[in-house]
Amino acid sequence: MLLVLAWPAHAAWTWSEPLTVNSAAGPAIFPHLESANRQNVAVSGDAVAVVWEDNRDGSPQCYLATKPETADTFQPETRLSQSECFEPVVVALGAGRFAAAWEEAGKVRAQVLPGGTPINLSGVESAQATLAFGAGSLYAAWAEQAGRFRRIVVARLEADSSAPGIRFAQPVEARQPSDGQSWPALAVTGDGGVTVAWEDRREHHTVPMVSHSRDDGDFAAPAQLTDLKHGGGTGAALGLGAGTGAMRPTLSAWGGQGVAAAWLDKRDFLSGYDVYAALDAGTRRFGRNIQVQDSFGDNMAQWHAKIVGDASGRLLALWDDARDGTPDVWLSVWNGTAFGDDVAVPAGSGPGAQTDPSATLDGAGRLHLVWLDRGDPQSATRIRYVRGGWR
Amino acid sequence: MNAIRMLLATSLLWVSVVWADPPPGYPFVSFDAGLKAARASGKPIFLYFGRYGCAWCDHTNKKTFSDASLKKLYSDNYELVYVDAESGRRLTLPSGERITEAELGVRLQAFATPLFVYLTPQGEKIVQIPGFKTVQDFRDYDRYVRGGYYKQKTLLEFLGGKS
Repeated sequence: MLLVLAWPAHAAWTWSEPLTVNSAAGPAIFPHLESANRQNVAVSGDAVAVVWEDNRDGSPQCYLATKPETADTFQPETRLSQSECFEPVVVALGAGRFAAAWEEAGKVRAQVLPGGTPINLSGVESAQATLAFGAGSLYAAWAEQAGRFRRIVVARLEADSSAPGIRFAQPVEARQPSDGQSWPALAVTGDGGVTVAWEDRREHHTVPMVSHSRDDGDFAAPAQLTDLKHGGGTGAALGLGAGTGAMRPTLSAWGGQGVAAAWLDKRDFLSGYDVYAALDAGTRRFGRNIQVQDSFGDNMAQWHAKIVGDASGRLLALWDDARDGTPDVWLSVWNGTAFGDDVAVPAGSGPGAQTDPSATLDGAGRLHLVWLDRGDPQSATRIRYVRGGWR
Repeated sequence: MNAIRMLLATSLLWVSVVWADPPPGYPFVSFDAGLKAARASGKPIFLYFGRYGCAWCDHTNKKTFSDASLKKLYSDNYELVYVDAESGRRLTLPSGERITEAELGVRLQAFATPLFVYLTPQGEKIVQIPGFKTVQDFRDYDRYVRGGYYKQKTLLEFLGGKS
């Protein structure tokens, strides 16, 4: 099954000319491509949408820029928020429509675009919203205050009208959290099942957990995405610390029924976080953990990992690391048995810092990629975009 | 790896809790609060970049930060900041950029925890030191920072080649 769901080996990437997405830039303007599940770019019909947060207006606000896929410039961005806004995400609904979600004034909100009316997804303190659309249904997840800690809530949204109504919202676990839960990621599989992953601290170290729901019903008991036992690491075995860290899980629907996950993992505590992945081919059980980056990246910390897949079985992971002296954007393609050699994205590598990749695959299998580009610490940060083809 | 195992094994005497946070009894505050306090007091900042569940952080807390004289030295002379390497909590850098605590690790190019960072009262980095350190190490670093030696020497030069 996994062998079938793969891109062909011995192929090469071709890239479009890179474009700058944000029109307002300066040394004191700081755009951020950070969001739960790292979903800052989407392609719907022939439209590309990018969302981010920056402080050009004197406070953190969320912005959206779009362009027709064939256009060589993005249209001037529009502001999504009225109050302090963080960590926006965007997903495609098809036929040129999108849904966006973000945190604003301490609560998560969502909006159908273009032209929709934003709504609050939660009535209590909440953050780190993410969205997934599949099998005709739109889902949201976020981290919501529940007593002393936050817990993960998943909602199914009505996206047919201009205002996304909430059809149901429920915590993944009914009981109060015993420690922090954060940074959810969602995937909707071809059969309509929903997979949610998140960072969880119930074991007194940070572990990505995962759960599934098949029919808008209850979620299965959470399971660890990481396959380390007893917290992992030498220290935990000796009673020092509770275990190794693993953070910022991302998910993608993959193939007809599958789900792929990637996250940052500190199990090798001497070389910073590495990118690890796990695959669920449709059984609703993730397999063994797979190290993504190749040996050239082994002794280097990886950051900002993102997994991207599609229904035809394409699958790749992206991240940034500084193995060549400065941070560059790297990707690795799943070949059916392993992640292949790391590939530096040409426009996202070289002098300066190229970081924080976010990406999606369109219906034709082309990769749409955005990242932050900063020439030096004093220069303006640009959001850059390229489209990549694999042939 | 055997040496690491042996060193960790020797620390079993100090086992009390099995996860790591700031050492108990120290007045650690958030990054923003510490920077604000440092600007007002003129004291340098001692930033402890730790990770929830980190074994070496736990070892350092029990073996080193349990020393009462070190606690007094650092509590009296530094604004103490604790940053969680995996947290989404927000902070504002001296440049005005708002990032998360986890993102601070990216900017510091942190590859291991604990990571100890000394900053001027204005938030400019003086030196960063990774890994387990002894009470004497922290006394040496204090002399390097508060004595102003960092303006003329690297830490290794100051320590005479000792790490």
